[in-house]
Amino acid sequence: MANDALTPRPPLPDGRGGEPRVEMLGISKRFGPVLANDNVDLTLWPGEIHAVLGENGAGKTTLMNVLSGMYQPDDGQILLDGQPAVIKTPIDALEQGIGTVYQHFTLVPNLSVIENVVLGTKTGFRLDLGNAERQLQTMLADFALNTTPQTEVRHLSIGQRQRIEIIKVLFRGTRVLLLDEPTSVLTPVEVEGLFAILRRLREQGVAVVIITHKLDEALDLSDRITVLRQGRKVGVLDPETLAASDRETSRLRIVELMFGGRPSSEGSDVASGSAAPGETLLTLSAISADGDRGAPAVKNLSLDLHRGEVFGIAGVDGNGQKELGEVIAGQRRSTSGSLAIDGRTLTNQGVSAISRAGIGYVTDDRLGEGSVPGQSVAENAVLKTIGLAPFSRKFWLNRKAIERHAEALIEQFDVRTPSASTQLTLLSGGNIQKLLLARELAMKPKVLVCNKPTYGLDIRTAQFVLKTLREQANDGNAVLLISSELDELLDVSDRLGVMYNGELVAIFERGEFDVETIGQLMLTGRRATGVAA
Amino acid sequence: MTERARLSGMSLTPLVSSLVAILMAFVIGGIFLEATGKDALEAYRILIDRGLLSNTGLTETLKKMAPLLIASSGLLVALRAGVWNIGIDGQFMVGALFSAVTGAALVGDVPDPVMWIAAFAAGFIGGVAWALIPALLRVRFGLNEIITTLMMNYVALNVTAWLVKGPAKDPKIVAPQTRQIPLEHRLPKIPGSDVHIGLLVGLVCIILVAILFRSTVPGFMLDVIGRNRRAAVHAGIPVATLMVVALLVSGGFAGMAGANDVFGVQGLFKGNWNPGYGFTAFALVYLARLNSLLIVPFAFFFSFLLVGGDSMARRADVPTYFIELLEGLMLLCFAVAVYLERRWSQRTARAASSDPATTSLAVAGESE
Repeated sequence: MANDALTPRPPLPDGRGGEPRVEMLGISKRFGPVLANDNVDLTLWPGEIHAVLGENGAGKTTLMNVLSGMYQPDDGQILLDGQPAVIKTPIDALEQGIGTVYQHFTLVPNLSVIENVVLGTKTGFRLDLGNAERQLQTMLADFALNTTPQTEVRHLSIGQRQRIEIIKVLFRGTRVLLLDEPTSVLTPVEVEGLFAILRRLREQGVAVVIITHKLDEALDLSDRITVLRQGRKVGVLDPETLAASDRETSRLRIVELMFGGRPSSEGSDVASGSAAPGETLLTLSAISADGDRGAPAVKNLSLDLHRGEVFGIAGVDGNGQKELGEVIAGQRRSTSGSLAIDGRTLTNQGVSAISRAGIGYVTDDRLGEGSVPGQSVAENAVLKTIGLAPFSRKFWLNRKAIERHAEALIEQFDVRTPSASTQLTLLSGGNIQKLLLARELAMKPKVLVCNKPTYGLDIRTAQFVLKTLREQANDGNAVLLISSELDELLDVSDRLGVMYNGELVAIFERGEFDVETIGQLMLTGRRATGVAA
Repeated sequence: MTERARLSGMSLTPLVSSLVAILMAFVIGGIFLEATGKDALEAYRILIDRGLLSNTGLTETLKKMAPLLIASSGLLVALRAGVWNIGIDGQFMVGALFSAVTGAALVGDVPDPVMWIAAFAAGFIGGVAWALIPALLRVRFGLNEIITTLMMNYVALNVTAWLVKGPAKDPKIVAPQTRQIPLEHRLPKIPGSDVHIGLLVGLVCIILVAILFRSTVPGFMLDVIGRNRRAAVHAGIPVATLMVVALLVSGGFAGMAGANDVFGVQGLFKGNWNPGYGFTAFALVYLARLNSLLIVPFAFFFSFLLVGGDSMARRADVPTYFIELLEGLMLLCFAVAVYLERRWSQRTARAASSDPATTSLAVAGESE
């Protein structure tokens, strides 16, 4: 029977309505000052697909990591089949029947499918692949995988690899399957295939959890939806509710749970919104670009930035915002379309030409890309301008000028560092961010692109950063602010665009900002139809 | 002042790991000697006596420093930029052959200084030419230079051996070698010593490299590339170009080291002549923690090991490759010492990752 093949240790045939398989009760988890999970309950039933929805940073992944043994909760307890359980490590979780498929796959590309599947199972010293191979063969057929157990994983597509990941955890007798953003790497056809498999697993009594921020997928697939917001559980839509109401009502209800009740931001102290938009500084015409994995990340995107405005880009992480910023900065080649700065076309001219033309770019990866950890604060402050006077003349460095420049920036931006010659690694994240911002502003950019400039900063530093960006615009420049923090975008933006799946799906003028519409666009790429909010 | 120490590159704390590693290598090497029934203390006594304390030993040590200094200064340029040039030996041989052929063609016809300059230039070009192939492969096809430069060593060994049997051979002699440069046309001695001026050439190379990294824009950019390539891309630094230049420069210096040995020591190029400076240069550059000026004492030390080791092999009946074993042990102990140093300083501060040597060791570990 297919049932046996899919799960060597078959789950009990208890359908819905039996005992809950997992109960997480009052889970709290704190990271430094951040309360990532605040007294969260989650109940998983066998034979049910359960979606956990929330914005970036709402605590979805933390909650799942607690269940999969990556983190220990600070408070609360977990019951498995009604019995208190302690899950110390991911291996511990697997042994207790909880398997996780992460966004980043854990397969070894140079090993065959079967070797990957049995890797890490307790087989003793001798490897008996015969039995495993027979089981695997049926599972592969069941999963519509047209491949043999001997195929090396590197020959498989992303969608196929994900199915192997699922097989791998099921092979270990998993009865609770956690999937972290499973569709983010898949093509639409692959998504359909994945959903078919998950539905089949549901029929076999597996409790499936998908963590997602894609509202439509959650509604398509799941029997029960839990919504998290700022670490707290703010609502559950149980199967009865979902069945009783039509799709549009459920959708509005979830958006309300995720985004509703925010204070209106108009009149906040950082906001200004200068009157008439000035001349155009940056023009993107039908720009497209590929992401790191070669798939299209920015699709046919057009945008004008004007003197004096802060243009906010909202969107759930991974919808092409980072790639957009890199294309503008010249760090990523565009595959089609054109980019013009102040009327000059500079498509794909490279970082230094674009930076000379007046584009500044503050990356979201401060340590990995924005700075050189082994060098001093002063050296980092001139990383992009080292070839210019007064920091160098012809080939020769002027260390004095470099030092003086850094000291001025430290003073002006209140960077907390013992001295300009201190190693950059000894600074806190907020101070590194201030330094990177100072470095860009010192180059007097006409257009400043910032990707998540307040990420991980304390409130005061974050406010300082936002205020600086606002001033930059007020001084007659343009700022493109990419952020996953909707609140700060609402605060400082004159216009706000929403990116979804590589496209700019909507642009709002200040005064038309409507949180729930924006939220819907972030989650689904389209506005609600017909129903008035 | 820490700032002054950092700027002048003479902070002493990172040296501790290197010195401990050297000491440990001697201890472990001694255990090997004792285990094979040799008298370790006696062997080490001969090593020091012959390599350092005798007049001829010291002269030989100083002579041998020259190629090490020249090759290491080039290697440093590559390693600081995160380029792993394992092909020093091949570049050395091709450079040596180029310079020997050039010298043979010019000797007697032009003033000696002109010939020497031409020979060093030819050595440089030969080394660059040999590094050019891996560089092009890297730029064109993204092939890892670690593999290609390493493989090019074997190609160089056989190509040069073939050339001195055929086109480049001295027709008057049966043995496969180039025409010998007469003694009176070789590099002159430093006044008051028996050491030829190659040593000064080596010191000049080191000083040039030190200036490159301390005071010039390209040096600054190479350092950025070596420490965080993504940041270099982000900052608009021409990463690919500079990495190629670093590889070519290190090849050119290796070739000049070859010219130095032809005109300072051998007088000609022989088939299959490979002194194997590449590995020694690697060891000493790492033990000097990628610091240009520290290369000088380490070059002296390794040169002493090579010279003293020869005498030790003969007199204490120790295999000649025992010195290679010591070098290998030093690198192994160094890796362990750096690891311990890092763990220790991670606990106290987060400063360790800043050390260029540890960073590029880590980078090496990460790059496949």
